[in-house]
Order: sequence, then C-alpha cells, then structure tokens
Amino acid sequence: MDRSKVSAAAPYLPHPTAVSSITHLQHRLQAYWQAMGVSDPDQAAALSEQALRRAAELPEIPGLDTLARAIAAAGEVLDDWLARALELPRSAPDLAAARAALLSGAAPDWPAALFAPPGVAETALETLRSAIAEPAPEPYPGVMPAQRIELFSLLGWLRR
Amino acid sequence: MTQTVPTPILGHTLRRAVFFLLVTLTTLIALGLMASAFHSNGLSPMEFLLLLLYAILFSWICVSFWTAFMGFIAILLGRDRWAISRQPGTPPDPTAPLPRTAILMPIYNEDSERVFAGLRAIHQSLADTGQLDGFDFFILSDTRDPEVWVEEELRWQDMVRALDGKGRIFYRNRPENTSRKSGNLEDFCTRWGGHYRYMIVLDADSLMQGATLVEMVRLMELHPKVALIQTPPIPVNRESLFARILQFASSIYGRMFTAGLNYWQLGESNYWGHNAIIRIQPFLDHCGLPKLPGREPFGGDILSHDFVEAALLRRAGWEVWLAYDLEGSYEEIPPTLIDYAKRDRRWCQGNLQHLRLAFSHGFNALSRLHFLMGVMSYAASPLWLLFLIATGVEAFIQAQHRQVYFFGENWIPVWPVSFAVEMTTVLLVTLTMLFLPKLLALLLLLKDGRLLRAYGGLVGASLSVALETAFSVLTAPVLMLFQTKFVVAILMRRAVGWPPQQRGDHMTSFREAALTHGFQTLLGVIAGVLSYIYVPAFFWWFTPVLLGLMLAIPVSILSSSMALGRQSRQLGLFLTPEESEPPAVLRYLDENLQESEPVLPALQGTPVNRFIQALTDPYVNALHRSLLPEREPPGKRRQHYLEGLIHQLEEEGPDSLSPAQRRDLIADPETLLRLHALFWSRPPANAGLLP
Repeated sequence: MDRSKVSAAAPYLPHPTAVSSITHLQHRLQAYWQAMGVSDPDQAAALSEQALRRAAELPEIPGLDTLARAIAAAGEVLDDWLARALELPRSAPDLAAARAALLSGAAPDWPAALFAPPGVAETALETLRSAIAEPAPEPYPGVMPAQRIELFSLLGWLRR
Repeated sequence: MTQTVPTPILGHTLRRAVFFLLVTLTTLIALGLMASAFHSNGLSPMEFLLLLLYAILFSWICVSFWTAFMGFIAILLGRDRWAISRQPGTPPDPTAPLPRTAILMPIYNEDSERVFAGLRAIHQSLADTGQLDGFDFFILSDTRDPEVWVEEELRWQDMVRALDGKGRIFYRNRPENTSRKSGNLEDFCTRWGGHYRYMIVLDADSLMQGATLVEMVRLMELHPKVALIQTPPIPVNRESLFARILQFASSIYGRMFTAGLNYWQLGESNYWGHNAIIRIQPFLDHCGLPKLPGREPFGGDILSHDFVEAALLRRAGWEVWLAYDLEGSYEEIPPTLIDYAKRDRRWCQGNLQHLRLAFSHGFNALSRLHFLMGVMSYAASPLWLLFLIATGVEAFIQAQHRQVYFFGENWIPVWPVSFAVEMTTVLLVTLTMLFLPKLLALLLLLKDGRLLRAYGGLVGASLSVALETAFSVLTAPVLMLFQTKFVVAILMRRAVGWPPQQRGDHMTSFREAALTHGFQTLLGVIAGVLSYIYVPAFFWWFTPVLLGLMLAIPVSILSSSMALGRQSRQLGLFLTPEESEPPAVLRYLDENLQESEPVLPALQGTPVNRFIQALTDPYVNALHRSLLPEREPPGKRRQHYLEGLIHQLEEEGPDSLSPAQRRDLIADPETLLRLHALFWSRPPANAGLLP
C-alpha cells in the first residue's frame, strides 16, 4: 500500500511540543477544569496547580508529553477527592463511575463541595452518591448446562 | 396451598385428532382428484413429480387453512375454554406482591433513540399499572459499532436519570457476542437470573402494554407447570404503504390464525423469540443450547434458538402456551419489500437448520412439527417454483403430444373429457383454501361493531382486504424467488451473515430496486415470452405470477413510499385498531420520539461523533470507562496492537480506523484514559472538538 500521500499530510493530532511553557500548561489545564464544570477561575487555577504538582510525581508514560501527563494528573486529583469524600474503594470502575456522576450535571455545585471543609458539603456529596450509575445488580450466578441433542443418524437409528 | 389442576388430556387429544384428520382428509381428497385425472393413461414421471409436489404444498396450505378455520370458530363463539387465560389455575396469595420479573431487551447495533424511546414507553405504561416495583429492565447490548455503543450508554443513563430508574434499569455490553442472541440471554441468566422468577424477552422494536406484562406474570403464577407464554405481537407504527398493508394483514388475519394455533397446539405451543414470558429456573435447567456438529450453515450455533428452546422445555415436561387473546403486544416490521426479504434471509438459515433437529431423538411430536413448519415456511418457495416449472413443462408436453388442455380462446382448461370436473375442483379447492381465510376474517368483524369501525368500517375493511389480496398476489412470486435464492444459497453452504436490520421507514431508490429485482423482472419477461409462444393458453393462467415478477421494480419502489402509506390511511384503507385508537404505550412512544428532550447535557444539541466524544468529553469518557468490564491488563501482543492503533489515530485520524479498531481502542480503559489526555493536550486542529 502506498502510504506516502497519507504521511505527507499534517497529522490528525499535532505533534507534541518538546517543552511546554508553564503558561500554556496552566491555560490548557484551566480549560480542562472548566470543561468539567469548574467555572470559578481561581478554583480552576488552584486545581491546575495541584494537577501540575501531581504530574511531576507521575512516572514517565511513553507517548504522553508533559501536558498530557498533567491532564491525566488532573483526573487523578479529582479521583483522590472523590475516593476520600465518598469513601469509595480505589478500583478503576468505581472511580470512573463516581467521576461520571460528578460530571453528569447531577450536582452542579460540586466544585464548592470540593473546596469546602470536610463535613460541610454533605448534601452535595449525597447527591453525588445517588447519581453514581448502577449498570447491573449484584451477580447471582446460575448454571445453564448445554443440553444434549442427539441428531438423527440412519446408522444410529438402525442400531436402535 | 398448592393444588394441581389436571390437564384435560382427552379433550386436548380429541382437538388435535380433529385438526389433523381434517388436514389429512382434505389433502387426500384433493390428491385423489388430481391423481384420477393423471392416472387415466398411466402416470408419467412428470405427472408423478407434479403429484408429489402438490401433495406437499397442498398439505401445507391445509394446515394453514384449518388453523385459520379453527381460529374463526373460536373467535366466533367468543371463547376457548382451554385458552391459558381462561383456565382457573392455582391462585397465588392475592396480598403477596408480584414476584420479581426482568424485562430483557437484547440489542445489536440498533437505532438507540428508538430502542430507548420504546423502553421508556413500556416503563411509563407499566408505571400506570402501579406494579413497576415488581419489574427490572435490562438492556443487553451485543452492539459492536463503537458509535452506537457509546450512544446506548448515554441513552441508558439519560433514561435512568429521567425516570429515576437507578437500581431498576440496567445496561451491559458484552465484550464478545458469543452465540449471538441466545448467548446474550444465556449471559443474563447465568449472571443475574437468580434474582428473578420470570423474564420477559423483548426484541429491539417490541412494545408491550404495562397491563399485558402484569397479566403475563399473573398467568405464570396461576400455572406453575407453564414455563413459557408467548403473546402474539401485532405489527404497528410503520408508515410506508408496504408496511401498512402488512400491518393490516397481520392484524386482521393474525388474530384468527393465532386463535387457531392455540386451538390445536394448546400447552405444546411454540416460542417466537420475543414478547414472551419465561420461567427462569426451567430455562436455566433445560435451555442451554449446544453447538451443532459440523460447520455452518447447518452446524455451529443454533441460529433460530426460540423453536429449539420451546422444544427443550417441552422435552423436559414443561408447558408452553400461546396466549392468543392477550392484547397489548406489539412489534415493528421491515418498512420495505427489500428489507422484508433481508429479514427473511436471516431467518431462512436458522429455520433450515431445524431440519436436522426435526428428527432428533427425544423431542415430542408437536415440537417436530414446529421444526418442520419452520422449514416449510421457506422450503415451500422453491417447491412452488418447481411446481410452476413442472406444470408449464407438462402443459407444453400435453399441447405437443396428447390432449390439448387449452383450446383457442378458452380460459378454463379443457381436461380430457371425464376429468375436467375433477381438475377444476382441485383448482377451486386450492384457491378457496388460500383465499377463504381472508373472507372469514372479514366476517368476524361483523361480530364486533367497534372492531369493524377500527378497521375502517365494512366498506373500508372490505376494500382493504381486496387490495391486500391483490398486493399479496403481486408480491408472492417475488418473495418466492427471494426465498428460493436463499434456500439454494444455504444448501450450497453459503452462510448468511448477521446484518443489523434497517428498521426505520425509508424509501427504496430506483437503483436499489433495479439491482435487487432486475433479475426477477428479466425472468418474468423470459417466462412470459416462452409461455406465450409455446403454451399460449397457459400464459393467461400464468399472468398473476408473470405480472408480479415484471412489476417487481415499480411495486417495490411504490410500496416503500411513506406518502402513499399516509394517503391510504387518509382514505381509510389498511386501518388497524392500533392506528384508529392507539393504545397508551404507542402514544408514549410517539411522545418520546417527538418531544423528549434529553436530560444529559452530552446528548443535547446537534448529534456528534460518539467515538470522538468518548475520547474528548470528560463525562462520556468517565461513563464509558465505568461500564467496561474488569479484565486482566492486555498482554504484550495486545498492547503492541493498541499502540499501533493509537499511532494511526494520531497520524491519520479516526476515519482511517475500522469500526472494529475503534471499538478496540475504547474497550481498553487504560487506552481510553491515555487518548483522553492526548486529545486534551494536542487537540485536533480542524475538528473544533475541544476548547
């Protein structure tokens, strides 16, 4: 297959920049927080700071540049808070479900709850808990053995 | 306290004896008449073939005719004392709540908007009964298309939020769709089946009234020996002319046929795959389907699992009933002739596979008959074609060598002197068997003024029956050729795929019609010319078949028209009670499709690429990850494969990836997180997807 035409075109995702300026990092992180519902710029800035600090602690991930790692770290900051506030196990599906509940719009004032002292934003946390999706009930396994079907065969029939 | 109500075995046996005696006698009489005409000068091989084919085809028509006739009598008398709904059974404690029932909707790459609008309508209708607490809903997705997959997840969450359905409305997508629909249901049964006593299985386009669902559970509670109750689903909601004609036919004739089926099948009825309630424990114990030995199309997975499951339940001693008089069960049908044929193609392979099962050890007689009836519903087409060809050849031989059956302008075949009466009788009997049920159905309407009005009054209903009959005469040869083609392809071991259905109304284009029906038209022209030249009088008898083939293209296009469908409705043609007085569940569906504004912001606004949304939108990304099953991290080889796909996506964009590759990317949680971060750190320049 001749791929020369494809490779000559600009890539779908721009190539990563070798070194991102701190302003660029903060700008993108704040945009990310805003997309998640943090409308207060100060809160977004504070969370971005936390994400940057967290990103520095993250191990090197091949294929992810500094900004991508900071974005991933922002998610982890959020998951940390959710696990603490909602007293959740730290399994990936549980945290993803909590994050989905948070971002679903069920509790639009969640940033206030995040910045509130512990024990103050119980109502918002309760709303969040009840918004966590429950895709399936607890398992109640049963056994369904494959049935035996004896197909007709002339030989078998004659033998019988 | 549990009492056992004895089954009236003698009465049941007598009914079946009467039914099969009538079928046998009618077949033998017609066959005798035909044989006596042939036998005068000895039986030629061609005559023997004709006789054999006629025997098979006529007995098939007889089963259908006497079923309709018995249904006619049952409805005319207004009662069938052995209908499952009329048997007293064992009354459960009236104060006890309904047992837990799961409503299952298995889906596969369907139109999510319609699927969830339908489920919501069922939920709303069930809420109206006040019995919602006894039911849970499961959307069992086997969807492979990543776009549809993400859409389903969002629609599910939207439904849960809108109807406060957390803990009652569930969703799961299977990582592998092993054994197709039967595997999908088996997965439910083995994972969560223990929570429930019953499951009600729906199809993606099924609709059921809440009161009907409650009644089905009540009937199961009354009859502890019953493992499955099938309701007759009535086709609704389509607007194209083709579908409206079919809806009308199914509605007006269908109720007679289902009453007739119940007359002789009783507790040994069949399962049609959806709109049925099943007792879960016996289903678990007896309905695990094996793979058939050999390769597809006759080996491998059992495709039409429903007949087999009913047979397995019967084999284990459980009863299976058709609740013919239970209303409020609906489905949607293919909107065009071509879509109808496509659906036939899928069903054909499954039904022919049953030929191997019909003679298997251990099934009871009626189960074998169900298998054979399934086979015959497709095998009849090539047999009819063979019969027509053989008749033409025989007429040609007779015209060349012996008696001339068609003289000059004569329309009635002139058989050798003493057999004209017999052959004309055979012809008239066959036509009566085919068309009398339509008149009987019309007669039944006279019994119920309200129903008659709902079908458009006496004039409207009569005209509709006449037009429907003409339409079915025109389309029958086309369907005959389609089905013959499918049967031949399957016999040549060319497996059909599992294509999703195109369920929504849409018009057939000239190109599509010409490509699909071109050969049929050509065949019609050639057969017409040949018969006109070589057996001119036979030609006129052959015209209904020839016309159907020659007009296949315009008929297919025109009948797919929604405008014509709507016009016919305005004229009061092909009306059904569900169109005249829509039940609540149909009104809810309509409202949900027309007015319902999604609660979830991710679903609001203009539709977007859901695959990209799963990568970019933090909410959709998190929701999708939360619904992925927990699995072992991918092995090294898999990691390399995913790595390659990520690079391809980065370089060449999502359009360069196949749906299966896109699915692989969003099926792995780590990859999903990584792509989310990548898209936010390096947003695509021209996509305008991210701030």
